[in-house]
Amino acid sequence: MSSIETLSALRQPTHLPVRLSRYFPLAPPLIVLMIAFAIPMGMMIGLSFHDADTGILTLDNYVRFFGDDLMLAGLWRTALMSGLVALCVTVMAYPVAYYLARSTSRWRVVVFALAITPELAGVVLRTYGWLVILEDHGAINNLLTWSGLISEPLPLSKNLIGVVIGLTHVVLPFGILSLLTSIQGIDPNLERAAQILGSSRVSIIRHIILPLSVPGIVSSLLIAFTMAASAYATPALLGGAGFKVIATMVYEQVLFYIDWPFAAVMAVILLVMMLTIAFIGARVEARLHRKLHI
Amino acid sequence: MDRFLSIFFQLSLILILAFIALPILVVFAASVSPTATITFDPSQWTLRWFAALTASRWLDPFLLSLKLAAVVTVLSGLLGLLAAYVVAYRKCPGHEAIMALLVSPLAVPQIVKGVAIVLFLSSAGFYALLGTPGLIMAHIVLTLPFVVRMIAGAMYNFDKRLDQAARILGATSFQRIRFILLPIIKPGLFSGMTFAFILSFNNIPLSVFLVRPGETTLPITVINHMEYSLDPVLAAVNVASLAFILAAILLFERIGGFSAQIHGGSK
Amino acid sequence: MNSNDIEMVSVTKTFGSNLVVNNIDLAIPTGEFVSILGPSGCGKTTTLNMIAGFAQPSSGEIRIRGKSQRGVPPEKRGIGMVFQNYALFPHMTIAENVGFGLKMKKRPAGETRDAVQNALRRVHLDGFENRYPKELSGGQQQRTALARAIAPEPSLLLLDEPLSNLDLKLREAMRVELKDIQEQLAMTFVYVTHDQDEAMAMSDRIVVMQDGVIAQTGRPAEIYEHPRSSFVADFIGKSNLLPISDIRQIENDWFVSLGTKGLTLSVFIPDGMSGHDARYCCIRPEAVRLAVTDEGIPPLPNRLEGTLSRIVNLGAYFDCFITLKDGTVLKSLVRSTRLPGLAVNQAVFLSIDPDAVQLLSR
Ligand SMILES: Nc1ncnc2c1ncn2[C@@H]1O[C@H](COP(=O)(O)OP(=O)(O)OP(=O)(O)O)[C@@H](O)[C@H]1O
Ligand SMILES: [Mg+2]
Repeated sequence: MSSIETLSALRQPTHLPVRLSRYFPLAPPLIVLMIAFAIPMGMMIGLSFHDADTGILTLDNYVRFFGDDLMLAGLWRTALMSGLVALCVTVMAYPVAYYLARSTSRWRVVVFALAITPELAGVVLRTYGWLVILEDHGAINNLLTWSGLISEPLPLSKNLIGVVIGLTHVVLPFGILSLLTSIQGIDPNLERAAQILGSSRVSIIRHIILPLSVPGIVSSLLIAFTMAASAYATPALLGGAGFKVIATMVYEQVLFYIDWPFAAVMAVILLVMMLTIAFIGARVEARLHRKLHI
Repeated sequence: MDRFLSIFFQLSLILILAFIALPILVVFAASVSPTATITFDPSQWTLRWFAALTASRWLDPFLLSLKLAAVVTVLSGLLGLLAAYVVAYRKCPGHEAIMALLVSPLAVPQIVKGVAIVLFLSSAGFYALLGTPGLIMAHIVLTLPFVVRMIAGAMYNFDKRLDQAARILGATSFQRIRFILLPIIKPGLFSGMTFAFILSFNNIPLSVFLVRPGETTLPITVINHMEYSLDPVLAAVNVASLAFILAAILLFERIGGFSAQIHGGSK
Repeated sequence: MNSNDIEMVSVTKTFGSNLVVNNIDLAIPTGEFVSILGPSGCGKTTTLNMIAGFAQPSSGEIRIRGKSQRGVPPEKRGIGMVFQNYALFPHMTIAENVGFGLKMKKRPAGETRDAVQNALRRVHLDGFENRYPKELSGGQQQRTALARAIAPEPSLLLLDEPLSNLDLKLREAMRVELKDIQEQLAMTFVYVTHDQDEAMAMSDRIVVMQDGVIAQTGRPAEIYEHPRSSFVADFIGKSNLLPISDIRQIENDWFVSLGTKGLTLSVFIPDGMSGHDARYCCIRPEAVRLAVTDEGIPPLPNRLEGTLSRIVNLGAYFDCFITLKDGTVLKSLVRSTRLPGLAVNQAVFLSIDPDAVQLLSR
């Protein structure tokens, strides 16, 4: 008996390190995230509170940002663009998602592939395509000029229209996926039940499908808004100098003006914007789920 | 009314799908059209723009992107395995919090992560790391959370009873990882790595801050050219790189078998 | 040499404050087929897991082949196990599954191949080597699991409800095969089940568990004929279990009163024993003899009259429920060929051999 006690007493001290050692495999990934993510983020946030020349702790950079009409205009353009993209994406994604959720036809696979695979092509290819279509001497303007409908090319790129079209295309698959999950979760028997009770298609959509897919609509809006607001390549290429948003302005700040603290401020503001929207979105979604009892 | 609605629905579906397909078709057509004017007449199509791709101004960035994506894929696969092992397989105390920590970079927009890394490397005096080392770092931060998630997903589904069965048959913990765990989560690992490969190969928002003259990735080279002209050779580059990605996916699929149903799950 | 393959000495297992296995002492001799039988949640799997090493006893000791297993991981215990859901490796062929244990022991390839062949032949699965588990039926998967466990030739095999996912016919066939294999290989089997028929059919010894303690151990017949508690009597086989309101001795004869309405039975208690602590009596249905006329029953002391209130046709037997005058319901098992014309509401006569009335103190 006593030998057992001694044994367990001897084992005690080795106990703790043994348990800690289970966490050792985490060291490489955590160190990498630390060096390449946590420290740079901390440093950037710190930098945003420092004066560019003297290095003194200050809020001046933020004051400067919110006092700068150029910056505020950029912020406004970012919000406007993201809002429009969110709307376009959700409106366009809905019929596709509904079809994918309910159709049993063999075209379903084709539609699904068409809707999702463009994501593999990357942003550059798609933006190139849109530029070819939308630019002043691009496909649309050539067609319209040739047919004599217009004499001057329509401004379709280097402005809001171009960016919204391009971004809608980039974000659409994500909108489709989030609506698809939501609509798939609605019991098809509800629709059948309503049909038996004499509802028309219109009133089924109005009174059953739309209300029940509100969570999907919200998450599609959210995902589209955040993806649009933090997109870089599409606004840079389709908006260019004519339509600058925060993401492209940050880039200029880092590489052309080399004003690092100010670039840090812009990045932090973009980040805070994203986190706020994500937070509010999560709250809204939680409330919706409670309200719809799902 | 219902009939009208149904026609309206089908029409809008076709228009939306056309919208999705349009720019991609245009790029394909542009890549084989003999001049900058796009033609959809197959008799005129030519591969002359593709012939230009072997020039070093396209080949070098391609090779850099390829090497970068390969290194990032392998490293984030290894790091992801380690992290998922502790979090999802061993489920060590606090595993949920650790998982949240590991995927936290997802909450930060890429452009912000890019700014953070470039400011860190420049202002902390690591100029030498701009270029390839910085690109690798940044891309791993981007891909690791996805890879961890996918591997962890596979490991959460892993049937612990298989482990017990192997154990009672005499398998040591190393043997259990090698012969049971890894083969069973292989599809998850490879789908994560495929995803990492695509993300890295196509990346712009992080790379744009970290490339250097002579060390520029393919997508950045393309957008730099696009700002000046819509040279049809760019269409050819885009089509070729899409073809390359599809080939890479097929290759990963052959090795990892993530799309095939494995003979899985004892009943 | 110790002739016990497994010894459990005051083994207790708690999960938090939940006492799951309570102070168990058990010795399992080499070469025996022992069943651990008990209702769901009584701690059978936990006990087996402690033997296998997947769970550590909170206190007490487990010895395998005479050696304490404290600190010995499952992979070093040299035992085989068949899991309830088979736990076949989905990514390996049947041959790879069966050869896995030998591969881990780094046996030469030729030897492994032979052992795999042998094990597969033993479970009648030769020819299935290159299939995957998904491509087998439930019974074939079950046999693969068995082959995998016996291929490394462990002297001790643990089985956790290995037949519970099979249909009745397959289960009965597998019982015979399991028993054959155990005898041919002279292995020790520890077999967990909550199916009492299974335990009765195969075991050399049955361990009945109840709420983490061992209620009784013994040969199947012993447990059936002499259950030590009402729990065991009820759990093993069918029984008429009646609470005793009074017991008294008149010279050498003992009588028990059942219920309050004066139903009295003569019982047999060997000389020198006392029946005073008896609480329940247990009468197996086949010991309740039934006849449709007064003359049809043997001239025994316990003769009762009643009405047939329900007949359950079991094929070869009728399960008859007889309501006695005082309202007590007794079950009787009647061979259907003996009284083919039985009908509900018929008046019947019963007799019970005093020897067949078991007295239980718990
Ligand atoms: N890991 C655990 N943590 C807490 N309680 C547990 C754990 N494992 C088992 N228990 C509890 O211990 C008791 C016995 O469980 P055990 O699995 O041994 O039962 P069993 O006899 O095998 O039952 P069954 O016939 O249903 O398989 C149950 O009440 C169960 O809830
Ligand atoms: Mg159990």
